Amino acid sequence: MRKHWLIGGAAGVVTLAAGLALVGAQDAQRVANADSPESYASGQPIAFPHNQHAGNEPGQNNMNCMFCHFSAERSVDAGIPPVSTCVGCHQVIPGANNPEEVQKVLGYAERGEPIPWVRIYKISDHAHFPHMRHIAAGFECQQCHGEVQQMEVLTERDPAWGGDNMGWCIDCHRENGASDDCAVCHY
Amino acid sequence: MTDGIKRRDFLKVLGVTGAGAGLSGCSTEGAERLLPYVVPPEDITPGVATWYTTVCKGCSAGCGMWVRTREGRAVKIEGNPNHPVSQGGLCSRGHATLQHLYNPDRYTGPMVREGGNLRAVTWEDAETLLATRIQAAGGRVHLIHGQMGPALTSLVDEVMAAVGGSRTEYEALSDAPLREAARIAFGTDALPRYDIESARMLVSFGNDFLETGVNPVGYARAFARMSGSDDHGDKGRFVYAGPRLSLTGLNADEWLPIRPGSEAALALGMASALGGDAGPYGSVLSAFDVRSAAQATGISEDAIQELAERFADGPSLAMGPGVGAHHRNATAANVAVMILNSVAGNVGTTVTMGAGPSSSTRPYADMESAIGAMASGQVGVVMVRGTNPAYSLPSSPSGSGFQDALASVDFKVSFASAPDETSALADLILPDRHFLEAWGDSAPMPGVRTIQQPVMQPVPHFDSKEMGDVLLSLATRMGATMEAATFRDYVRTEYNGVLGNEEAWRTALKTGVVDVPASIPGTGALQSPDSALSFDAPVMDGGDDLTLVVHPSPRFGAGEFANSPWMLELPDPVAKIMWHSWLEMNPVTAEARGIREGDFVEVTSPHGSLEVPVWLYPGIREDTVALAMGNGHTDFGRWASDNGVNAMALLPAVAEQPSGSFVTVATTVSVTPTGDRRRLATNEGSSDQHDRPIAPAIALADLGHAEEEADDGHGALMELQGVGGFVPVDAHDGAATAFPLEGAQHGNYTNAHEGPRWGMAIDLDKCTGCSACITACQAENNIPWVGEDQVQMGRDLHWIRLERYYEHIDATQASHVDVRFLPMMCQHCGNAPCEPVCPVFATYHTPEGVNAQIYNRCVGTRYCANNCPYKVRVYNWYRYTDENVPEPMTWQWNPDVTVRTNGIMEKCSLCMQRIRDAENRAAVEGRQDRVPRDGEIVTACQQSCPAEAIVFGDLRNPETRVAQMVESERTYRVLDELINTQPGVHYLKKVTFHEVSGGAH
Repeated sequence: MRKHWLIGGAAGVVTLAAGLALVGAQDAQRVANADSPESYASGQPIAFPHNQHAGNEPGQNNMNCMFCHFSAERSVDAGIPPVSTCVGCHQVIPGANNPEEVQKVLGYAERGEPIPWVRIYKISDHAHFPHMRHIAAGFECQQCHGEVQQMEVLTERDPAWGGDNMGWCIDCHRENGASDDCAVCHY
Repeated sequence: MTDGIKRRDFLKVLGVTGAGAGLSGCSTEGAERLLPYVVPPEDITPGVATWYTTVCKGCSAGCGMWVRTREGRAVKIEGNPNHPVSQGGLCSRGHATLQHLYNPDRYTGPMVREGGNLRAVTWEDAETLLATRIQAAGGRVHLIHGQMGPALTSLVDEVMAAVGGSRTEYEALSDAPLREAARIAFGTDALPRYDIESARMLVSFGNDFLETGVNPVGYARAFARMSGSDDHGDKGRFVYAGPRLSLTGLNADEWLPIRPGSEAALALGMASALGGDAGPYGSVLSAFDVRSAAQATGISEDAIQELAERFADGPSLAMGPGVGAHHRNATAANVAVMILNSVAGNVGTTVTMGAGPSSSTRPYADMESAIGAMASGQVGVVMVRGTNPAYSLPSSPSGSGFQDALASVDFKVSFASAPDETSALADLILPDRHFLEAWGDSAPMPGVRTIQQPVMQPVPHFDSKEMGDVLLSLATRMGATMEAATFRDYVRTEYNGVLGNEEAWRTALKTGVVDVPASIPGTGALQSPDSALSFDAPVMDGGDDLTLVVHPSPRFGAGEFANSPWMLELPDPVAKIMWHSWLEMNPVTAEARGIREGDFVEVTSPHGSLEVPVWLYPGIREDTVALAMGNGHTDFGRWASDNGVNAMALLPAVAEQPSGSFVTVATTVSVTPTGDRRRLATNEGSSDQHDRPIAPAIALADLGHAEEEADDGHGALMELQGVGGFVPVDAHDGAATAFPLEGAQHGNYTNAHEGPRWGMAIDLDKCTGCSACITACQAENNIPWVGEDQVQMGRDLHWIRLERYYEHIDATQASHVDVRFLPMMCQHCGNAPCEPVCPVFATYHTPEGVNAQIYNRCVGTRYCANNCPYKVRVYNWYRYTDENVPEPMTWQWNPDVTVRTNGIMEKCSLCMQRIRDAENRAAVEGRQDRVPRDGEIVTACQQSCPAEAIVFGDLRNPETRVAQMVESERTYRVLDELINTQPGVHYLKKVTFHEVSGGAH
């Protein structure tokens, strides 16, 4: 047992040292943070506030999710908005709250680069989740993704979700009379 | 289960040991990035397949293709059902063209050879260099090329005229003797079009139309319709005459094992027995009769006489020798077959003119002149495109001299997109694009054109450029004025006439077919021959007693597909051997020489010798041995190089007269054992059914009263009844009620009696054993290859195994052939032996009757595979998908199917992803019952099958096609009555003309 503590301690020191070495270089910091699941928030290349776009509080824009996630109702993939979709609005909307973040968006568009978003929601490769099937059944996006329209920083809805927690899927399937056959998702 | 360990507890124990087994993609290290498009492409929706039509350039047939792309990558090819050539099917090689697209050995960019090494250069530099050298050569420019579409041909002619060059077309496989025979006999420059479907008596004189030649896929479809029996017992008869049963021959009802080269004697003997009017060939015919035919062929007079009589009954059709029978008198043999057709009154009915691309080349004879020109210094710059003569022409002292002649040219340019033996000799490499990345067109038959459009952006690993664009740039550099800026524009302009407006052009791209006006000369009446023809058997080189037949491989063609792991690991449809080469030899011949299967022999002809293992084959004459083309490359990529032998080493370089075709049946050989042995890399368990009714047949005469058959077909095995709990049950219930079985526990599936039961029916009277289904399945379901060593250990991963059982083959006299093909995949048993032995419920039954395999549950005990009576479950012993599949071949993975890693069992899923896709569509469209329509779900094997033998659908709905097929009296399920597995896959028995005795016969 004592040996394990020693190993753990050594590993901690190394990690700390590696972390300190990166402080100061902002880009490097972002990459380092992005690779640690705890800090998705600051790891995004652009501080994108979902609440500002999709929220229905005064001053928020109440946009439909599928304005940006354009293929959710016709594809297995919900779709990540192309940079041109962002620019479509932001070439005339400077972003009153965080103009510097909007400038970053325009910068990506100008350079013709994709925005390297950090993925928050991911289902394992051995499971298939057809978005359109769930939209067609009348589900709201929030039922799986949480109240995204209230989130300034997108986080996973529920630690139990975890991407691989099948019980979470199955509970919902059973409640709604959907199939609980394995091969519905695993093939 | 009573006391002792319970299944769930066992699962827990296993859970610990099995924790290491997972699927690729389970990694949680690091954050994954989501990269959006900057500007979205118009026709791409993430997660939704986009389909493009184009044309296959894998061989000269020109089949129409539908290419499925996902997120901009080509992932699967299917046949275009609208296309008049292929009519919806696709062969194995067509599928494998995808592996050429993603071939990791492709050239990474233009290169110049300096001091023996290749140095990367820019396209600008490369093109400047080419222009400079051509200028310096002053018109002494020559292009040697393979098959090209009409647009590229016309551009090449334009550019060559501008620079003062010339060109030669050379393809290793050609139909020149047939084409020349059609010209001589009927005065047409088109190939004969055979209406196989209408014939009731088809005789092939060494024409392997199911595997090579004008249109393998389309002819296979027509053949299956002709020879597949319908419910009224109408079935056409197929007779094969030739020294060796090719895949085509194995589909015959009768075999005349004639001596190599005696096709003309047989055809003329039959024609003379018919006694019809042979027009200007009357005098030829008078020199032949049944007796002379019998002497030349080694077949009895009675058999020939009887065949002639049946042929006269019509509607009949005879097909002349193809590439596998190109001997020194192949043109005369084709003329002889045309005389036979003419005498029997088939011309104008089953034989018309107008198939195949029009062409006036004399392939090898033209090549000989090109070689002569190069050797004598008349060529300053030689360019090679789409052909590989340094491999496909013999390099022996009596060979073509191509390699030496090429080496003597000052500047050699290759447009090869991947290394080959010819580009290895080139000074400048200008890598062409793969046809799926490039523009072009194809003229597969008179009156039909197809536009070849790029289905994706060029694979970014390779800096390639279309040859058309290079030529346009070259012409501009050399001062010519070209109207088109790009080759795409050039192709578009070529079709200004027939596709005037933009809408017509778009429609043509969408349907994949353009109708163009065509006129076919030739009256259908026999014309006097304008060149000397010898109808005698050709003289073979050497004085040995074994004649060598060199034939194109159904997998590799003439070698173009030798670097595709799909093709290498596809069991040869005849020999069932993968990867390496083999020599086919009759068991009687082998025994006389003390040779066993797997023995290495030295095969020596007057022109060369090579060492190759022997495979014993009863379907070849005792005085003949055969080698397939395609292997034995020296410089063709990581998989092809140093694999097997190149049969061309044994051949002389001879041009057949008068067609100028390369002669493939030219020499005798001696065969001596070397003393070495090897284990053949085969997945064949046995070529004998051992009295088990795996692929039973029914005689045509018995159709309509099958129930009178006394023997239920299980032979000796039935005697085991009641021994050791082995109790067969009455399983005569229909397929619909057989699942779930009475009293069976199927988890919590209370609704399993409702909804569809997915199943399949395969008509074995149509199946030709071509194995296209195997490659289609491999492409669709992310099945990796395992390599030759693993194959020898029986670890190949194919989900379909094409069983080939010999029932009757006689290589000594004319008699019936009975070979049974059976595509064996997971039978989706209603009472599956694999299910109760799985400790973790990784295999189980879905409510829809599919035996499912859940990869993420599987811990790899392999109990299921051991308990499967059909041996269709395959196991990932290693990380084949990681280790065997290099970038960018991984781009071909189907994103709808899990990529499996080591420790996982897998098998046919009935294309579950396609079922789900159709269900999703039904749900999104808001259809009431959410059940896909019949025919909406097409499995990959079914789509590809050129013979239309496979039908998938809902067995429980009596309206579906599959349910109706299952009602046929020919329907059976493999081993079902014996072991009560209640399979969901049904087979329809092969129908034979001869009596079948016993169940297995």
